[in-house]
Amino acid sequence: MKQIKLIFSQTLMISTAILFGLGIQAFWNAMFHGDARIVWEWYVPFTIIFTGFLCSVPSLIFLEEGETKKSAFPVKIVLHFLVLLGVVSLCGRLFGWYSTWEAYLWILLMYVVIYFFVWAATFWLMKKDENKINKALEELRDEE
Amino acid sequence: MKVILEKVAKPEEEGAHIRAVELTEEVRNAVDLLENNCRSISVSRVGEEKSPGESYMLGTNRIYYTESIDKRTYVYTKEECFETRYRLYELEDILGVNFLRVSKSLVVNMRKIRSVKTELNGRMTAELLNGEKIVISRSYVKDLKRKLGV
Repeated sequence: MKQIKLIFSQTLMISTAILFGLGIQAFWNAMFHGDARIVWEWYVPFTIIFTGFLCSVPSLIFLEEGETKKSAFPVKIVLHFLVLLGVVSLCGRLFGWYSTWEAYLWILLMYVVIYFFVWAATFWLMKKDENKINKALEELRDEE
Repeated sequence: MKVILEKVAKPEEEGAHIRAVELTEEVRNAVDLLENNCRSISVSRVGEEKSPGESYMLGTNRIYYTESIDKRTYVYTKEECFETRYRLYELEDILGVNFLRVSKSLVVNMRKIRSVKTELNGRMTAELLNGEKIVISRSYVKDLKRKLGV
């Protein structure tokens, strides 16, 4: 159940991030190329959700808590980053999100920005929790 | 056991008189609770668990954390380590509200945590008042927050 919840929330988060990225791309095109319209095939929204789902599965495998050593974590992150990049590239190719190298570079840039943004946001939220917990512990703590 | 509760006017008049056939663990717990405002659990020094007469009553307010290793349960105070016959899930019930499971094998006394620190992998490290560091698993952070009301 916990894993289904994780996949569901990750799918939502990644799909939203892809939409956000596409929004920025459309904004850029509207500002600098005068092209203010987005034209999608009927299946594109579904492909975004499907890609979100596929990207959530590696998260489950790589980032699941286990008895891994602290030093193994950077290796896991790099692998996670590369596997997700592979999934996004493959889905983009299959679903026709890009047809030129320039468009692929856009997808790559978007992926990198979204990946690091999600990590930064997650870490910031965890730091907020840390501060709240430390404040609450102050009131509970025994005298040394 | 029959319990008689009598109301008194002043704190100085408060007191308890226990009449028991035998000084059982439950009676000792009751005495501890009344005298020291905390419960006690039966422990033995590490490696002495099977020798009779070597058990001690340890006040829960002295406990920093308890850990289960290879089906044995260890109890850690500021500087000492004891072993107890209780399983970790039993201790969760016995030890009281200030104790919280923070990983599969560890229950910590929240009153003994100096601070917590977030790690990149989503876990938290808690530094205890004696300088020891323990890991709070990601899945138990939510329980910690709930218990602290944050």
